Amino acid sequence: MLNHSADRTARFQRVLIVSLIGLGLGFLVVVQLRSQAVVARTLASQDNTSVALLINDLNRANNQLIQQAAALSQQETQLRQTLTAGGADAQGISKELQTLREVTGAVPVHGPGLQIRILGPIMDFELQDLLNSLRAAGGEAFALNGSRLISSTPIASRGNTLIIGGHAVSAPLVLLVIGDPEQLEPAADLSASSLQTRLQVDIQRKSDLAITEVISAHPLIYAQLGR
Amino acid sequence: MHAERRRAPITLHGTVTPRMTILASVSLATFLVAGLAATQFRSQPLASSNRLARDEALRQSVNQLEDQNGALKARVQTLQAQVKAGEDESARRSSAVQQVKALLDEQRAIAGLVALHGPGLTILLHDGVDPGDPADRSLGWTVHYQDLQDIVSLLWASGAEAVAVNGQRVVPTTSFHYAGVNILINNANRLTGPYTLTALGDPSTLANGISDPDQLAELKSRNRIYGLGLSWLRSTRLSVPAYDATFLVKSAQPLG
Repeated sequence: MLNHSADRTARFQRVLIVSLIGLGLGFLVVVQLRSQAVVARTLASQDNTSVALLINDLNRANNQLIQQAAALSQQETQLRQTLTAGGADAQGISKELQTLREVTGAVPVHGPGLQIRILGPIMDFELQDLLNSLRAAGGEAFALNGSRLISSTPIASRGNTLIIGGHAVSAPLVLLVIGDPEQLEPAADLSASSLQTRLQVDIQRKSDLAITEVISAHPLIYAQLGR
Repeated sequence: MHAERRRAPITLHGTVTPRMTILASVSLATFLVAGLAATQFRSQPLASSNRLARDEALRQSVNQLEDQNGALKARVQTLQAQVKAGEDESARRSSAVQQVKALLDEQRAIAGLVALHGPGLTILLHDGVDPGDPADRSLGWTVHYQDLQDIVSLLWASGAEAVAVNGQRVVPTTSFHYAGVNILINNANRLTGPYTLTALGDPSTLANGISDPDQLAELKSRNRIYGLGLSWLRSTRLSVPAYDATFLVKSAQPLG
């Protein structure tokens, strides 16, 4: 009877030990996986130059987001005051509509910026790189040889011919970009330095550029509102 | 006698006693625990010098800035919702405002400030295999931001009505670019592979655009050489999110 009880105790102890070991192992596996994720998140595998460039971009993006939040906060305050006074904020809504039309290329615009003249056959990917750099530097409106460009404008090369939105454009190319010249110029210079090995690129600051071309938005046929 | 009894359970007849089982279990577990502990120790960042500490501080800055970036976007989205609620109320009070508000809603959809759904195409893209060839410095086995840009550009040309990359809506101001080895899009969002591109539109037209042998020729050749992943799937229902921030125009003014 005593032996039977001792066997049961021993079996219980074995189960307990194995359970504790299992728990410990499970804990360590979880900690291990999490620590690997943390190492990945802390960008441990990246060189310092990449990390520094990322910090620069994040700072710039966060500053823009702070400005966006401030503008929205001001708009919301004005809306609330108008509503409290019993009115309707037509002016605020019209202003917002105007901003979106400028962004989508639906209206002619003017402002300070750069005029970039390119002599030679530029390829589609080279122009995309240039536009990407200028957009990242705050470029707000673009036109190339009379064609308004937004990010959804198809750009392609057929041989040495550049096709913008389905239309061929020929040299010399004149790219107009509206934005803060102080921000745009370093980005344009950097792109030009890689292009200038085989193309002639001339960059000029302009205090007031006019972009008169507009884009007509395609109607949504397949896409519907909502998720 | 007592000591002999304690040693006795180990037998030489192929019989495994409970104590042997425990001993074996504990040994095995200790071995595993030690192995895991060693791996765990190795995965910890070692800050044994000032340089390592500085490196770690740089990476901590990125984490803090990305956290701040997320919080700011959340703030912008909350304010956008509040503004929209106020505008809806304004539109209810005035028929003139209602007409302008209808135009605004249309522009919001065009600009990417509204989530959309519909039929379309999903494109999957991932890194291939590093050939380990010191002579091959092309990095052709990895996905570059230009690859994403090329696919997005082709989707627009093939009639896409809306596009998103890894859940980031492509809007009129979107740029793809490198910050070191990081691919960034829309307010410094870091894109990492595998990449999923979602396009709304006619699935057949979009698929024909991507499968056209004259299009994405370089990417398709890297798919064959390095096993870089490129595949697409037609769907009857996909969705793209709204842009997670807003637009601020400071330099451009309406003409006339």
